[in-house]
Amino acid sequence: MSKFLLLAFRNIFRNRRRTVMTLIMVGGGVTGLLLVGGFFARMFWGLRESTINDGLGHIQIFTSEHFNREEKHVLDTGIDNWRQVAATVTTGGHVRGVAPRIEFYGMVSNGEKSSIYMGSAVDPVAEKSLGFSARLSQGNDLSTKSSGDVEALIGAGLAKSMNVKVGDGLTLLAVTADGALNGVDVQVAGIVKTGFKEMDDRYVRITLPAAQRLLQSDRVTNLVVGLDKTDNTDMVAAQLGPRLQGLPQQLVLKKWIDLAAYYNQVHSLFSTIFVFLGIIVFFMVLMSSINTLLMAMFERTREIGTMLAMGTPRIWIVALFMLEATLLGAMGAAVGVVAGNLFGSLINVSGIHLPPPPGTNVPMLFSVMHVPSLMVASSILVIVSLALASILPAIRASRLQIAEALAHV
Amino acid sequence: MNEPGFPVDSPASNLVGVDSVSRRFPLDHNYVSALTGVSFNVASGEFLAISGPSGSGKSTLLNLIGCIDKPTDGRILLDNVDTSTLSPTRTTALRRQKIGFVFQSFNLIPVFTAAENVEFPLLVNGISPAERRRRVAEALASVGLSDRANHRPDLLSGGERQRVAVARAIVHRPALVLADEPTANLDTHNATHLIDLMHDLNRRLGLTFIFSTHDQRLLAHAHRIISLTDGRVVADQLSADEFTPTTPQEGGSHEQVLAARV
Repeated sequence: MSKFLLLAFRNIFRNRRRTVMTLIMVGGGVTGLLLVGGFFARMFWGLRESTINDGLGHIQIFTSEHFNREEKHVLDTGIDNWRQVAATVTTGGHVRGVAPRIEFYGMVSNGEKSSIYMGSAVDPVAEKSLGFSARLSQGNDLSTKSSGDVEALIGAGLAKSMNVKVGDGLTLLAVTADGALNGVDVQVAGIVKTGFKEMDDRYVRITLPAAQRLLQSDRVTNLVVGLDKTDNTDMVAAQLGPRLQGLPQQLVLKKWIDLAAYYNQVHSLFSTIFVFLGIIVFFMVLMSSINTLLMAMFERTREIGTMLAMGTPRIWIVALFMLEATLLGAMGAAVGVVAGNLFGSLINVSGIHLPPPPGTNVPMLFSVMHVPSLMVASSILVIVSLALASILPAIRASRLQIAEALAHV
Repeated sequence: MNEPGFPVDSPASNLVGVDSVSRRFPLDHNYVSALTGVSFNVASGEFLAISGPSGSGKSTLLNLIGCIDKPTDGRILLDNVDTSTLSPTRTTALRRQKIGFVFQSFNLIPVFTAAENVEFPLLVNGISPAERRRRVAEALASVGLSDRANHRPDLLSGGERQRVAVARAIVHRPALVLADEPTANLDTHNATHLIDLMHDLNRRLGLTFIFSTHDQRLLAHAHRIISLTDGRVVADQLSADEFTPTTPQEGGSHEQVLAARV
């Protein structure tokens, strides 16, 4: 067997120029997959972390009713004893903190013009401790002090349509938890750009106490849990589930992946693109390798005839060609993995920025992750591709008529 | 001389029996006959030459005896086994175990060293590594190439390559060695050396050699020469060296000559 392997290995280097070209082709395919896949992985990672740090958190806690039935009024399905729940959650390991939120909606007016808003009420202290920060384009974040005027952050689109700037006043109107109409005057502390135009056209953020006064309720919509590491999400969620069972309200946990609709859309889209790219590389390697291996077979016709004349089983000839192709694929994969990581590192230190991706307005750093699973998968892809490419030449070689093969010039 | 197409009885001492063998090849919408009604027997230990001009059917006949082609009519017996009735797998096994080949163009595997080339038949015969090493060393020694064992074919002269090919043909101890024009690509010195080597192996080891040639130097060493013309046997004679003074050089059948020698 070792001699057979040796024969296959040496045969690879019989025509060095052709072997080098094949290695460049196969290695190029792997390099391309690693760079594109590494870029996508970096993009997914960046999008994941920014989605979490923009306020989604790692885990969110709702009442089970929140998902089971339509709310009659704002906070109708909110969490009553949220401080107790927060205390229960905080005692667990890997939890950095818990931030209460109220999601509400209503009308905003500047005295001359009114518009619909989507409100989010936060505890600035808790948000800051978790590292959740609004993407301010002007002004300041909400004050962590509770005294003074009610401050608000508003989306850039809403500020433009309401013709307000930092320091101007607005009136927020909302339906209370009892169904009555209530209002509160706010001062614009800052203007935010979330990266999504639809969001910026409607976004209002105020403090939790202000929202509770506006909505006449002590409830919160949800609790956002921040962890030390995103990778701990599944473990912490599994631990938290049973601990929340003993509380008066029935609560449910949602992991960030369940709530990050945009992330999931992007992930799905780019994963599909990557699979498509993988299929292209697979067929590119397959088709060009068939040609190369057929040429190799043709050149070795007499030698194959000699081996068959000496009583070599035909299946050995098939195995020899497939082994050669597989070895070639493995070497090409190795070349590709080295080149892919090298080019990836060069790209990472180059500091190149790409135009903002669809739906955002922030330029993206062109960065590539080194993903071991991607290296393994890309290598397997080209090795399998080459092994499959060798089937036709291998079968043709094994079926050669010996007398004709020996007479081959 | 034998009458072409004479019936062959295949006594146990015969290693090869060629019985009324014809081989036709399709050509366009017709056929061309490479061999027609060829019959003869070969006893173990013979050093037999098949001679004839180009296109006379020498290589076709060797291919048929070597089980790498099948006759259109007639049968080839190897050790009293009708090879034309064997399955492809058994035919392959028969070639692997009983036949060694020497080719005009040496046909060595270029990426293998001389020793590895010689080892190849043992590899396909499933011989253990230790036994392979021993036999390869023996075979290379028998052709005088022990010191060239680790050289690849492109570093060997033509004569050395053909000696490696001979070592490869005998290393698995076949019953029969077939050589197709073995001296055709060699200069006089190397050809003479190779002829002496084959002759020596034939005498020393009792190996049966059948070779096609029109090299007079090689023919001069043959015990027996079968002459082909247009695919037919036109002469089957023992060479002068092997004949006793009372043995006619031509006109007697091969069986008669052998009987005379005995």
